[in-house]
Amino acid sequence: MAALLQVEGLTKHFRVGQGVILSHMNKTVKAVDDVSFAVEQGETLGLVGESGCGKSTTGRCINRLLEATSGKIEFEGVDVRRLRGKRLRVYRRDVQFIFQDPYASLNPRMTFGEIMAEPLVIHGFGTRREREQRCKEMLAVVGLSPEHIHRYPHEFSGGQRQRVGIARSLMLRPKMIVCDEPVSALDVSIQAQIINLLDELQKEFGLTYLFIAHDLAVVRHICDRVAVMYLGKIVELGGRQEVYSSPHHPYTESLLSAAPVPDPQKQRARSRIILRGDVPDPMYPPTGCRFHTRCPIARFPICSEEEPPLRSVASGHETACHFAKAFPISAGRMTSGDAHQQDPFGGFDGRPGGNLGDFS
Amino acid sequence: MPPLMEVDDLRMHFFTRDGVVKAVDGVSFALEAGQTLGMVGESGSGKSVTALSLMRLVPEPPGKVVSGDIRFKGESILRMSEKEQGRLRGDRIAMIFQDPMTSLNPVHRIGRQIAEPLRLHKGASKKEAWGAAVELLAQVGIPQPAERAWDYPHEFSGGMRQRAMIAMALACDPEVLIADEPTTALDVTIQAQILELMREIQARTGSAIIMISHDLGVVADIADHVLVMYAGKAVEFGAADEVFCRPLHPYTWGLLESLPRHDADDGGRLSPIKGQPPSLINLPSGCAFSPRCAYATERCCSEAPHLVEIDSGHSSACHFSADKDFLNRSPHSATGKL
Repeated sequence: MAALLQVEGLTKHFRVGQGVILSHMNKTVKAVDDVSFAVEQGETLGLVGESGCGKSTTGRCINRLLEATSGKIEFEGVDVRRLRGKRLRVYRRDVQFIFQDPYASLNPRMTFGEIMAEPLVIHGFGTRREREQRCKEMLAVVGLSPEHIHRYPHEFSGGQRQRVGIARSLMLRPKMIVCDEPVSALDVSIQAQIINLLDELQKEFGLTYLFIAHDLAVVRHICDRVAVMYLGKIVELGGRQEVYSSPHHPYTESLLSAAPVPDPQKQRARSRIILRGDVPDPMYPPTGCRFHTRCPIARFPICSEEEPPLRSVASGHETACHFAKAFPISAGRMTSGDAHQQDPFGGFDGRPGGNLGDFS
Repeated sequence: MPPLMEVDDLRMHFFTRDGVVKAVDGVSFALEAGQTLGMVGESGSGKSVTALSLMRLVPEPPGKVVSGDIRFKGESILRMSEKEQGRLRGDRIAMIFQDPMTSLNPVHRIGRQIAEPLRLHKGASKKEAWGAAVELLAQVGIPQPAERAWDYPHEFSGGMRQRAMIAMALACDPEVLIADEPTTALDVTIQAQILELMREIQARTGSAIIMISHDLGVVADIADHVLVMYAGKAVEFGAADEVFCRPLHPYTWGLLESLPRHDADDGGRLSPIKGQPPSLINLPSGCAFSPRCAYATERCCSEAPHLVEIDSGHSSACHFSADKDFLNRSPHSATGKL
């Protein structure tokens, strides 16, 4: 069976230097560079990575909130990038979006009812009364009271607003939802409520999620498969179990080791890989493997000259590294203590002055 | 000998048009040199206001310390003159703020900003202070510090700005370093670098650190004592191992239970705490956590519990924390620990 969503060679370049101020630069930022993956019906695929890795841009290209530069996006076998007019509207009905910031993504001058009914109005569904009924039902589904339909966003907390953002995305009964950091603005106890809600809704409505997040723990909890991105590329892709328990890419392993666990005894016992330097400026990505400037196991010249392709290392598990598990990362591993003395910023070649901010 | 820093039943209230906001309402702890205290809690729990109170940086009015005391080496900070407080601040007690983008001055060179406390507190000459600033930048791991000191903040990346903030806080060799969410704005690999740097600095200078974070992982990583806050109150205090592995307060249980983990499969559902944190203007009567607590009884709704020492050095503000049967009902007792 073909996948619900098939992405092949997706690339998104942003031109820098079209305005007056930056016109001398005339550069291209390759925010997403040749990214391919598939999402099966009913599953949750996680896109993880640090800020600027291109995970949000990927999500936005899929929704056509941004136009991809090249590559193929197929949804149910239809070429999404070619859709225009009415057919694009139908596609957007099927593929909805949940935004990160529940404070910024709800119009403060509209009531919850108006916010939630808007997709129905745009797509011409129902009469005013029917729409109101749907809104009330949907508020109950996401755990709010139907009376809240006449209230405004400012009267509610972040968690409650995010519930409305989720309700809005469900109004048109979509097949797939792109969730862009849906819980990262929320407190721990509220975050767990929203994660459980997303779980329930997936079961109830048979939804497919593309789940974009930087929090590794959240992604492990909610996703079936995970794609790890670094500087616009997927460096590792596989089932949740495989990626988390036996990561093959040194970046994945470093990322996992850098995220602390809420248990002091375990945390002390964990080995830590502390990466040197910053993520390089995406306007000047390193040659070869983009991770080689910070990689603890990089070997030269191959890593700085030749770009490693995404290769299968086990069934359904791919990674883009010349030395994926060829020898264990611990051979080149720095212990946490001497990481700084050795060469605190040796790998630093970012150009922060030219950093245009966060592309995630 | 008195502890290096001691906070005794601190209550910082804000008097606003809408009512009295009890932002900090009963926080006590003691801190010794070389120790790291982690303060955890959700937004609005009063962690940052506590930190700002220690530095006397809360604007008064609307804020007012209605009771309690803050002592530095046995001397009450609250009773000092403003001038004396100013001498302490940035010199003996220094602070690292959450957002290095907004807490550095964009129109001054990094070097000058790091040199400022030295000029102010140590009376260093411009030249001496600049040299010291370059030295400090080197200490926090900025490459080519002599050149980078001439940069403006926008020329630094997020992680480098946070390093510059740390350099500034370290300038006068403070005895207490207060870090308010120092890694929240940073990516996880940069966060690991900054935490490592703070550990290294502590080993070298022996200063005490107060680490404020909403991230339980960060606190577990760096703190040896933990203070859990809820609605302005300290609800649990103890050694990090105790608080994380044998938590006494139902709120701490709830926090640990609602966290997904990246180092193990939890499979299935998380157990979140039900409901929302209360409004600080209109706190529930009795225990502030009672409306969300799965174990609340009538007593909890009428009588506010106090922070009481249960085991040596481990205290909890719950009526039932001393009750062995009650603790056996905690989600952590079944497995022994998380």
